[in-house]
Amino acid sequence: MDAVVQFTSQSQGRDRIFRATQYACALSVYLLRNNSERKDLVAKLKSLETNMSAGRKLFRLGNTINSIEAAKRTMQLSDRVLCLCLTAANANRALYFICDNVLWARNVGLIRDIDKERWSLNASRCYFLSLVTSLTRDVYEVIQLMAQKARDRHFRQKMELHLNESSEVAEAVIPQLDAFLFLLLESLRSHPAVALDVLKNVCDLFIPLDRLGIYQSNAGVVGFCGLLSSVIGIVTLAQPKLRLRP
Amino acid sequence: MESWVRFNSQSQAKERIIRAAQYACTLLGYTLQKGGAAADLLHTVSQLEAHMSLSRKLLRLGNSVEALEAAKRAIHLSDGVLRLCLTISHLNRAMYFACDNILWAGKTGLVPEVDLHKWSQRSFRYYLFTLILNLTRDVYELHLLMDREARYRASKSPPSAQPSSSLSADPPSPTPEALPWLSRQLHLLVTVLYTNPPLLLDLLKNLCDIFIPLDRLGIRPTGSGFVGACGLTSSLLSIATILHPWLKLKP
Repeated sequence: MDAVVQFTSQSQGRDRIFRATQYACALSVYLLRNNSERKDLVAKLKSLETNMSAGRKLFRLGNTINSIEAAKRTMQLSDRVLCLCLTAANANRALYFICDNVLWARNVGLIRDIDKERWSLNASRCYFLSLVTSLTRDVYEVIQLMAQKARDRHFRQKMELHLNESSEVAEAVIPQLDAFLFLLLESLRSHPAVALDVLKNVCDLFIPLDRLGIYQSNAGVVGFCGLLSSVIGIVTLAQPKLRLRP
Repeated sequence: MESWVRFNSQSQAKERIIRAAQYACTLLGYTLQKGGAAADLLHTVSQLEAHMSLSRKLLRLGNSVEALEAAKRAIHLSDGVLRLCLTISHLNRAMYFACDNILWAGKTGLVPEVDLHKWSQRSFRYYLFTLILNLTRDVYELHLLMDREARYRASKSPPSAQPSSSLSADPPSPTPEALPWLSRQLHLLVTVLYTNPPLLLDLLKNLCDIFIPLDRLGIRPTGSGFVGACGLTSSLLSIATILHPWLKLKP
């Protein structure tokens, strides 16, 4: 109970729970869309999803400053690639929050004469760019981990064992690919934070991809990906060891 | 900027800011109405207020648990009066949040059969009980501190001259004797409050807050302008206690 209270007292913790609920509703609405007996349940779920989304937009009103502060911090990192990727990601996220705030003002009625669709597309574009830069950073981290592992003598012995044993079971079609995949999987397994971050960013990527029309999936896929990335977000917040730093 | 990030990361701080904005909208709506503003501006302001109120209800969805945890902690206090006041106050707050959650479910359409007016009145009643208990606790703390201050003053200065009119034939008139006592008590009160800012802030906050349920329950209707001003003041005081944790009354 204490841990739950502590988790929800963080603004980010609550936001992730609401996000998970929002995408769970979206997924349920998609799954039940053809079920004629559950029409009022579907209506309730849609209403819940809209309410959560509207509430979250209000709660996110101050996040632009958070992102700018984060960008200022990441500008001082020593590693050039990390510095570039993270600063770009944070800057894009700040722009996304600005668009989001404008959309909130439009929804609430404070600003009347703006093009909602255009601002929504801009918000999706900024979000998409921030995810792409985050994924670039993840790829860079994975490459560094793999290079580090390849130099490790203990790991090389393990690799030898794996390659030799698999030749008894079935000949590897492309032994280099097999070795590469083994190296990749071992690196990800030894650093779960990186693996979780990659998975979260890939899941999140489907949302703007669908919205911008680059890769049209359906509402069910978007809902599922959103739910999965929110759950991973909750896990990384509850277990700080699993969070990728910086 | 750093302090904003830290402040914003607390869920309670965010809720307080939204509360301040909500009551500012109430006050603004009242002022605009008095000033004869356009109908659609009034409509926008009231819509904004309703949106903030509903979003705050969403943000408060888990607070019953927090209030119960606070009640569990308050049971272990050593002072009997404090223990009683605080435990019952937290329990009433937990009930208030439970009613609030039901109201949220009703307003968003999840449970359409909810009688919104009945549950709203119920939640305001629990809120009123909470505030009454908080004020009782404030008065108790004030009384203890005033006692302590009076004893401290008595021990520091020599005893004042005895009233010499005990043998006189004048009819005893309570007013000249009562007045110095009253002014002494007032002076004590002001001194104690001045030297204990957490108690002063808590007292002011509870006094401002109590007008809200009193108005909504119809016990002492004051009008939306006054309610808005009181709500805004108490929210700002509450934000001050979050920004400066030493200003929070403990326990």
